[in-house]
Amino acid sequence: MTLKKDELGELYGKVGVGNQTLLGIMGNNRDVSVGEIFLIYSCRDGHERVFFFRVLGLENYLRQIDDMAQIASTLMVEGDSYLSGIERNMLLYVAGKMLGYAEKDDGTWKFHSPRRLPDHLADVYRPRPGTSDSNVQQMLEDQIGGEIYVGDLQIGEDSLDVPIMIPTKFFPMHLGIFGSTGSGKSNLMMVLIKSMIDTNLAINQGQLNDACKVSAFCIDPHDEFAKGTDTYGIQDIVEMMDATTRQQVLGNFYYLTTSLSATPREIQRYGKDIRIRWDEILPRDLYSIMEFSPPMASFIDAVYGSARENWISDILSMDGDPHGTPVGTLRAVQRRLRFLERSPIFEEQCSSVLDHIFEAMETGRILVVNTSLMSDREQFLLTTIVTRTLSDLRRALKSSGTLGDFDRQAEIRLPRPFFSRIKAKARSFYGASGNNDSSPTKDPRDLPVILITVEEAPSILNPELMRGQSVFKDISRQGRKFHIGLLVVSQQVSVLDNVILSQMNTEINLRLGNEKEIRACIENASVNISGFEEEFHVMSRGEAIVTASYRELPLPVKIPKFDKIFKKDKERYASKGTKKKKEKHVI
Amino acid sequence: MLERILTEDFRKKLEYTFKDIKNQQDKRTEEEFAKDKRRIMNDLLTQIDCYPKNPQIDEDFLVAAIDGSGTPDLTTLDDIRVHLLSSATIVLSTGTRTGRLLEPLDRPVIEAELGEQPLLELHWHTGVRGDAKKKLAESLEQIYPINDISEVVLPFFIDHTNGSISSLKDLVKSVEYHKYVPDLKSMEGLISREQLLTNPIVHDELRVVMEYAAARNILTSKLRPKYLLLDGALSIFLHFVRKYPSMPSGFILRELCQLARKNGVTLAAVSKNHTIPFAHRIAKMANEKFGDGMKWFCLLPSKHEPGGGLHIYEDRTYIPPVLAVPYLFSFSSDNRPSRIDFDRVWWLENIFVPNDPETTRENEIRLFSELEFISRDARYYGYPVALALAHEACRVSYEDVRLARAIAKDVYHELGYDPKRINPLRDDLGV
Repeated sequence: MTLKKDELGELYGKVGVGNQTLLGIMGNNRDVSVGEIFLIYSCRDGHERVFFFRVLGLENYLRQIDDMAQIASTLMVEGDSYLSGIERNMLLYVAGKMLGYAEKDDGTWKFHSPRRLPDHLADVYRPRPGTSDSNVQQMLEDQIGGEIYVGDLQIGEDSLDVPIMIPTKFFPMHLGIFGSTGSGKSNLMMVLIKSMIDTNLAINQGQLNDACKVSAFCIDPHDEFAKGTDTYGIQDIVEMMDATTRQQVLGNFYYLTTSLSATPREIQRYGKDIRIRWDEILPRDLYSIMEFSPPMASFIDAVYGSARENWISDILSMDGDPHGTPVGTLRAVQRRLRFLERSPIFEEQCSSVLDHIFEAMETGRILVVNTSLMSDREQFLLTTIVTRTLSDLRRALKSSGTLGDFDRQAEIRLPRPFFSRIKAKARSFYGASGNNDSSPTKDPRDLPVILITVEEAPSILNPELMRGQSVFKDISRQGRKFHIGLLVVSQQVSVLDNVILSQMNTEINLRLGNEKEIRACIENASVNISGFEEEFHVMSRGEAIVTASYRELPLPVKIPKFDKIFKKDKERYASKGTKKKKEKHVI
Repeated sequence: MLERILTEDFRKKLEYTFKDIKNQQDKRTEEEFAKDKRRIMNDLLTQIDCYPKNPQIDEDFLVAAIDGSGTPDLTTLDDIRVHLLSSATIVLSTGTRTGRLLEPLDRPVIEAELGEQPLLELHWHTGVRGDAKKKLAESLEQIYPINDISEVVLPFFIDHTNGSISSLKDLVKSVEYHKYVPDLKSMEGLISREQLLTNPIVHDELRVVMEYAAARNILTSKLRPKYLLLDGALSIFLHFVRKYPSMPSGFILRELCQLARKNGVTLAAVSKNHTIPFAHRIAKMANEKFGDGMKWFCLLPSKHEPGGGLHIYEDRTYIPPVLAVPYLFSFSSDNRPSRIDFDRVWWLENIFVPNDPETTRENEIRLFSELEFISRDARYYGYPVALALAHEACRVSYEDVRLARAIAKDVYHELGYDPKRINPLRDDLGV
C-alpha cells in the first residue's frame, strides 16, 4: 500500500449500497452538506484506488428504527421519553454520485470514469482543508491542470487548496459561462482576466514554455472589470506593473469605452474610444445580429456588390433603388441601418479602433470593453465585427502558404480600407520568417489563442439568427482551426442554439435561475452531470460546476473573490525596481 | 383455503367462538372479579410517582437485560433435529448525570465481561428412547456448566422450605424428598418430565437455560447492575408428585435468585404476553381511579399475603408462580398492561414490611418509579428498553434462519456428505 489513508481526510463512514453510478454511504452524524466530495479507499483484488463521490442527498438514519414518524410522535407526545444510545445510532445516509476513481499507473495518478465499484463496506474519508489538499491534487492532476485559474476545488461549503485550471489549448473549442443574475459572473470574469494576464506574464517571463499566449476581447456590460466590483479591479493590476511589464503584457491600452473623456483619469491613460467606421462593417455582420427578410438581404448584397465598403452610406442616401427593389424593402433596410447614424461608435468617417484591436489580439493582450453605455444592438454589432474581422484574417492566413497568398486572400475577405491600414502589421504577425511575398506564413495555432466574449449570448446565438449567415455559427464550428474561441456568457442555456452548445467543450455552470435552465444546463454539459439537479438548487454565489469534454470529472469549484487573489498575488506584478525603499521618519 | 376463509360461514364460526368465550368468561369469573374489585381498587392499585423529565439520580445505575431466541428445526437429518439457540445481554447505564440516558455500555466492555454477544449454541437429539433426556442434559451442562450440582439444587429447597432444608444432609433426612436424592445428583436426574420431552419442550428448556446462563454471567461479572431483567415470567413448574421443579431450569432459576440477592441485584422477569385474567378490567379501574394516561401498578397477591390471593386466579395453578411475586403494571396508556415477577424471597426482604402496608407501598412505589424511568425509550415506550434491545439483539429472524440453513448445507457438503440429505423432506416433494 502506498497511500497514507489518514491523509485522505477524516474517516467518515462505510460504503453501503449502490452501483458504479449511484452510491449510498452510511456515515457519522456530522454536518455534511450537499455537494461535498468524499474519497472512498478501495483495494479490491489488490488494486489500490481512490473513488471520488459527490453528495447529492442526505437522510437522517436511526439505526434499529423502522418507523421514524412513530418515534418522533412518541417523543412529542410522551415528553419524558428518550432514545437509548441514540448518539451511537444516529447516522447519516448519504446518497450521491460516483464521479470516478484515481489509480496509480507507473507511479502517476490517473483519473478514470466511474467504471468500477469500490470494495464491500469500503472506508469513506471526508477531505479536510489542510490535510487532504496535496493528495487530492495529485490524484486529480490530469483533471484539473491547465493555465487559466478558475477557482479551488470545492468540497461542500469548504474548498481545498486544489486550484482548478482550464488549459488554453481548449479555448478555441469555446467556453460557456452560465449563471443567473447574482451568481458571480462578473467576479468570475475578473478572475479569468487576471489569470489570462498572469499566463501571458508568465510566458513573457519564460516560465510557461509549452503554453500559448491568450488574447481576450472581454465585454464588460456593467463597467465593473477595470475598477472592480469591490475594492480592486484590473486597473489595480495594471498599476502594479512597471512600465516595461505593462507594455509587454498589456501594450499601451487595455480599456475600450464609448466615451473615454467620461472615464476616470487613471483608467483614461490605458483606454481608447471605441470607434468603428461604416466601411469596416460587412452585410453579414448585420445578418448575425438582426433579422433581414430574403428580399432585404438580396437588396443589401446587391448594393454591397456594387458599392463595396460604401454600401451603408449608399443605402442610407437612397430615395429609390435604381435596380427596382420595392420601396418598402428599401425603407425597411434603411430603418434597420438607421441606428448606425445615431450611434456614437459607428461613424462614417473616423479613426477606427479596429486596427488597435487587431494588433492587441494578435500580440496576446487582454481588452476590457466597457459596453455599459451602448445599446444591445451596438454591443452585438461591435462583437460581431471584431469576431468576423479576426476570423477572416486568420481564415486568410490558414488558406495561404505565403504572405503573398495571404494578401490576396485577405483582400477578398476584408474591407479594403481596413486591410490596407493593417496589412503591414498583419504581415509582420503572420510571417514565419521574413517579410517577402514568398515568405511562408505561420500556422494560426502558433498565434495567440483569441477568446471573444459574447455577452447576453441568447440575443445573438439564438436559433433564428444562427440559421442565417451568422459569423458565430462559423466560429463555433471552425474556430479551432483559426485558434479563435468564443466565451459565451448567458443567464439562460435553454434558448441558445444547439450548434453553439454542441461545439462548446468547457462549461462553467454557476447558480441558475429555474428548473428549465438547470435541466438545459445538465443536458448540455460536456460530461454527464445528471443527478446534480439538487446541487444547482443549493449553490451559492461564486460556486460553480466546471464540466469539460476533455475531462471525466465534473469539478465543483469555489471561485474566490477577485480582491482576495489580487491581494495574494499583487507582489508578482511589481518589479523589484518599483518598490519604494522605506525611509526612516526623522524629526 | 382462502376461499373458505373468505366465506360468511367462517365469519360466523368466529363470531360464535368469541361470543362463547365472553358468555363463559362472564358467567364464571365476573362474579369472582366482583369479589376482588374493591380490594384491587382500594388496596392494590397504586399510582407511580414518576421521575421528572431528564432527572438527576443521586447514583446512576446499570440495568441489564437478557433475552433468547432460536429455532427447533435448523435442519433435520432423518429423526434428528438440530436446534439453533441464541441469547443476548444488554447493559445500559441510566446516565442521568451525563445526559446520555440509558446509554448502552460499549460492546467491547460487555464482551470482555460476558463473552461474545449475541451467543449462539446448537443442540441435537434423536428419537431413540431416552436420547432426548440424555442429550438435553449434556447440552444443559455445556450451556450452564456446574461444578457442584448441590449449588444448583439446594437454593430451591432452601427457599421453598423457608430454610428448613439448607443442605444435602437436610435433603437426605427429609421425609418428603429423601427418596429423590439420587435423582438430584445429576443434570439428567433433574429432568423428571421425560415423557413430555417433545422438540418444543426441549427447545424451550434449552432457550431458558441459555438465558439463565447469560444471567449468571452477569451476576458473577464485575458489572453489578441494579436490575437484571429477564423476558417472561419467573415460573417454576413443579413435578406434581415430587413437588420440586420438573426441569433443571426451575432449579437454576432459584440459584440465580439466590445469587442476585447475594449481589444486591434486583432480578425480575417482564412478560408482555401474560395470562392474568381481567387485566383489561384492572386497567380500566386504574384509569377510573387515577385518570387517563396515569402510570400504575397492581400487586397480584398470593394466598400468603395479608388478605390472601385474588379470586380471579384462584383456579390458576401458576398465578402467582411458585416463589415469585407478580405485579400488573402500565407505564403507557397506549399499551395494554404488562406483568412483572420478582423473586418472592427478595420481595419479602426488600419490599414487603410485615404489618406496615404504608412502608410496603412506599417501597413498591420507589421500585416502580425506577422501572418506569427505564421504560421511556420512544421506540418501546412503556416497556423496559434494555429488554427490548436484548430482544432485538437475540432475535433469530426468518432471514437469519434461511442463511444459517444455507451455511449448514455448505458445511455438510464440505464434510463430504450429500447436501441433499440436509434439505427439508418437503422440498423433495415441492410442498
